[in-house]
Amino acid sequence: MVDSKHQWKAWIYLAPALALLMVFTIWPIINTVRMAFLENYSGLKAVGGQAFEFGLGNFTKVLDYRRFVDCLRTTVLLCVWTVPISTVLALLIAVALNAIRPLQKALQTIFFLPYVTNSIAIGMVFAAMFNIVGSFYGTENEIIVTAGIINNIIEFFGGEHVNWINYGSTYTSNIIVMVVYIVWNALPFKILVLLGGLQSINRQYYDAARVDGAPRRRVLTRITVPLLSPMLAYVIITGFIDGFKEYTSIVGIFGVNMGPPDDAARLNTMVGFIYDALSTNSQGRASAAALILFGIILVVTLVNLQVSKKRVHY
Amino acid sequence: MSKANTATMHARNIQKVSVRQQIGKAAYLFLTYAFLILMAAIVLFPFYWMLISSLKTLEEYRRSSPTFWPMVIVLRNYVDAFTTANLGRLFINTLIVGGVSTLLSLVITILTAFAFARLEFKGKELLFACLLATMMIPGELFTITNYSTVTTFGWINTYTVLIVPFLVSVFYIYLLRQNFLQIPNELYLAAKVDGTSDFKYLCKVMIPLALPTLVSITILKMMGAWNSYIWPRLVANDEAHRMITNGLRNAFTETTGDVNYPVQMAAVAIVSAPLFLVFVFLRKYIMSGVSRSGIKG
Amino acid sequence: MLKKLVSTMLLALMLMVCLVPAQAQSAGFAVPEGGYDGSDVTITFYHTMGSNLTTVLDAYIAEFNALYPNIHIEYTSVGNYDDVRDQISTEITVGSQPNIAYCYPDHVALYNLAQAVETLDNLIDSDITVTRADGSTEILGLTDEQKADFIEGYYNEGMQFGDGLMYTMPLSKSTEVLYYNKTFFDENNLTVPTTWDEMEEVCAQIKAIDPNSIPLGYDSEANWFITMCEQYQSPYTSATGDHFLFNNETNRNFVKMFREWYQKGYLTTQTLYGAYTSGLFVSTSEIKSYMSIGSSAGATYQRPTANADGTYPFEVGISTIPQVSEDNRKVISQGPSVCIFKKSNPQEVVASWLFVKFLTTNVNFQAEFSMASGYVPVIKSVGENEVYADFLANADGGDYISALSAKVCLEQEDAYYTSPAFNGSSTARDQVGSLLSKCLTADDGGDVDAMIEAAFEDAIDECEYNY
Repeated sequence: MVDSKHQWKAWIYLAPALALLMVFTIWPIINTVRMAFLENYSGLKAVGGQAFEFGLGNFTKVLDYRRFVDCLRTTVLLCVWTVPISTVLALLIAVALNAIRPLQKALQTIFFLPYVTNSIAIGMVFAAMFNIVGSFYGTENEIIVTAGIINNIIEFFGGEHVNWINYGSTYTSNIIVMVVYIVWNALPFKILVLLGGLQSINRQYYDAARVDGAPRRRVLTRITVPLLSPMLAYVIITGFIDGFKEYTSIVGIFGVNMGPPDDAARLNTMVGFIYDALSTNSQGRASAAALILFGIILVVTLVNLQVSKKRVHY
Repeated sequence: MSKANTATMHARNIQKVSVRQQIGKAAYLFLTYAFLILMAAIVLFPFYWMLISSLKTLEEYRRSSPTFWPMVIVLRNYVDAFTTANLGRLFINTLIVGGVSTLLSLVITILTAFAFARLEFKGKELLFACLLATMMIPGELFTITNYSTVTTFGWINTYTVLIVPFLVSVFYIYLLRQNFLQIPNELYLAAKVDGTSDFKYLCKVMIPLALPTLVSITILKMMGAWNSYIWPRLVANDEAHRMITNGLRNAFTETTGDVNYPVQMAAVAIVSAPLFLVFVFLRKYIMSGVSRSGIKG
Repeated sequence: MLKKLVSTMLLALMLMVCLVPAQAQSAGFAVPEGGYDGSDVTITFYHTMGSNLTTVLDAYIAEFNALYPNIHIEYTSVGNYDDVRDQISTEITVGSQPNIAYCYPDHVALYNLAQAVETLDNLIDSDITVTRADGSTEILGLTDEQKADFIEGYYNEGMQFGDGLMYTMPLSKSTEVLYYNKTFFDENNLTVPTTWDEMEEVCAQIKAIDPNSIPLGYDSEANWFITMCEQYQSPYTSATGDHFLFNNETNRNFVKMFREWYQKGYLTTQTLYGAYTSGLFVSTSEIKSYMSIGSSAGATYQRPTANADGTYPFEVGISTIPQVSEDNRKVISQGPSVCIFKKSNPQEVVASWLFVKFLTTNVNFQAEFSMASGYVPVIKSVGENEVYADFLANADGGDYISALSAKVCLEQEDAYYTSPAFNGSSTARDQVGSLLSKCLTADDGGDVDAMIEAAFEDAIDECEYNY
């Protein structure tokens, strides 16, 4: 099938995208690689006339960071929890939305609302939900002004309030809050994509299933999921890519300290590390860290693609 | 046991099954609604928060224990938001940039996704993998290089600089390619036999079939223009080209470096309103689906 | 197609060539003979002002233009301070930075990696006469009276970069002050603490009167740590040589002392409390604080919401922050300075300087800007401005709380200190802030000293890694 005439045509279709990518994506990547291999490279120092030696210094410096493993662990942990949870939830919501008649329009509109909600508002909500306002936890002087909505709910059902994000909180409770927040943030996009996919599925499949009297669960696993698999593969792969670049959501909850007050940087991630380096204009180190992160995401994505090749039905 | 007896029992059994089915169906429907309404409430909460914050006084916003309903409703915030920022100009700029970039971006995304989904050329898999790989580098690292590129082009403070650099999104190309791949090959081969050109096939068959995805991309792209902040601030922060988010962020900073959030929220609510209306209008298209098009899949 | 690809790549290569750095000169700014020659120049000015302040600025740009009609000032409100920093450090890489910008000392240290900031010494010392549009003249530099008029601590901030050269001019400043619940203090016959020893006593007294309270809230842990270093005269950082000097016994001791206070329930800070400490101070509910240390520019946040009849639930008093010793009074100086960037056209630099000089030495501008912003003027003669004198005369703990806070600031003009600025000084600031919150609260595992020691070492490690 591959003849030269066709090839030529394909490149015409690709030309505009490739030209733009060349200038605004590939070229910056080349530049990133260059900076990564120039020891202690800083854009401002370069303007100031300083020369930089070629070498692997930036990479060793990144790997030498005493909390490098912590950054990596948090990044991976957030990824492996948030991607499956948000995908399954979004799938269930999309399927449910597709299955109902009354209220369908109203509910669909509500699930679009996050797109017109300001991100600052979302951050503020979470602060209000998990934040305990008070001091001296665990001492005789303990004072709590508000324990947060989530803790109020827990207490309403007879539970003990949990220290989620304030000082003295555990790593596990910090991660739980982050998972909830990230899933919440990711849901609207995934619902939108999956709903779009669902709408493309031909009704005839369902009609056939109804005639056969197939139970709902089997319709979901045997018809919906396989037919939706390209879109599912899409949200999972891009979810992992985004998950590995997690940073702003942590700032949203914990501030630029990236951790509870008694253990700053506890929840730092790879991209957080890159930002730290950029704040002192250490672009060499930032670039090296970005390439390391790139390597990790690349491996994960290749595995993902390999799995989806076997599982995705087009 | 007589034959008649067996028949009644059989009928009773059928009845039993259908009653059980009815109950099951009702329970299933109830659960579906309960689940959707719960999730909707959760998703809606930040939106609600945005609205009540926009009606609070700054003092109330700064309180230790957040209030769920403003003690005093301050409509003045909306008046302030209108008068402080030059909303009209910001609106027009954002509409121009959002509209043009969405349109061009759709064209490029469709062409590229089509090539990756339907056309055959050497190195297709490899090229696609490379495109995916570009998504994996944190974009913050591109800023400085891209800034010097657009400066060299002399694009600073133009609409071009706000539109062109982000026209190509691998995210959207990938999304649309997935959708295109679902359209059965037989259709394409049949069209080839009929002598339909690739381009005609794309316009007549693939685009209509992928409409829900295209609308999703439009929404995301428009939203991107609405929310973009760092790049516009860097390259086009003059009065004539400033975009909505930049205008809003700048207008409500207090001298102490704090932001007057209630007024800012009011401004956000004002600019979100038209966007929301657009969504309500577009929803019909997303939901319309393609089942009517009568193409066998 | 291939041609297009090749040409794109060629374009990219050409761009790379364009990136070759410009050579920087090391000597100070060479003031052109004759100073400003009246030529048409456009001066760009990045700041963080909201619209209430740009209104003031507009009026004085008009006044400035009456004197220098050919100097066109174009300002941009960029966002917050970090936005200004990020924007300019990107722009410097292609040489498109503005002429003048709002800055904090560590921003200037960052820009100086590219040697992009102009030193002001030659301009300040210049005695070239410049003729203005109305026929009057001024000397380009600062007169001795003008120099002496600046509050010394503010002026010296411009020289904290380790080489003794002047890089910034103070525009408008603030400091930390102690807000206290005057009504409560009067009712209970409490004296406002002037030293940390007295502070401990007052906290104990308040805790005895109202066990449900947190006597003191401190807004900023970083400011607190750095100010304590200054008050104890113990090292914090240095602009030259070994940068990070804060791990020493004195510092570990005061941290340990405050940990004990914290454990007695005497105080909290913004990050520990989980909300604005001013919210705790103005609270009228059961749990509240009676003292709050925060920015003098945020006085209106430290005032409780007025009752329906316009009165306030309690009166706020403002005082200087407690000291270690009355002989070595130290209080932080914060708020915007401005710096001038190097440009190939010396006339732009001279014109920028004329504008900066106008803003920083104009009594009326300083007065109006201060009243609109809550900051305090940087020159002493503002006190002679009638409107400003009226403003101060009205000072009280209610409607005119901003005036009261300004008054307290002006009383301690001899106490301002500045910390050394270098690339990495903001990391040090962040680190000591989180170090303090950690040491106040962390579980000590039975050995307080070991925990504090380890926390200090970690903080130093982080600073040195990022440097």
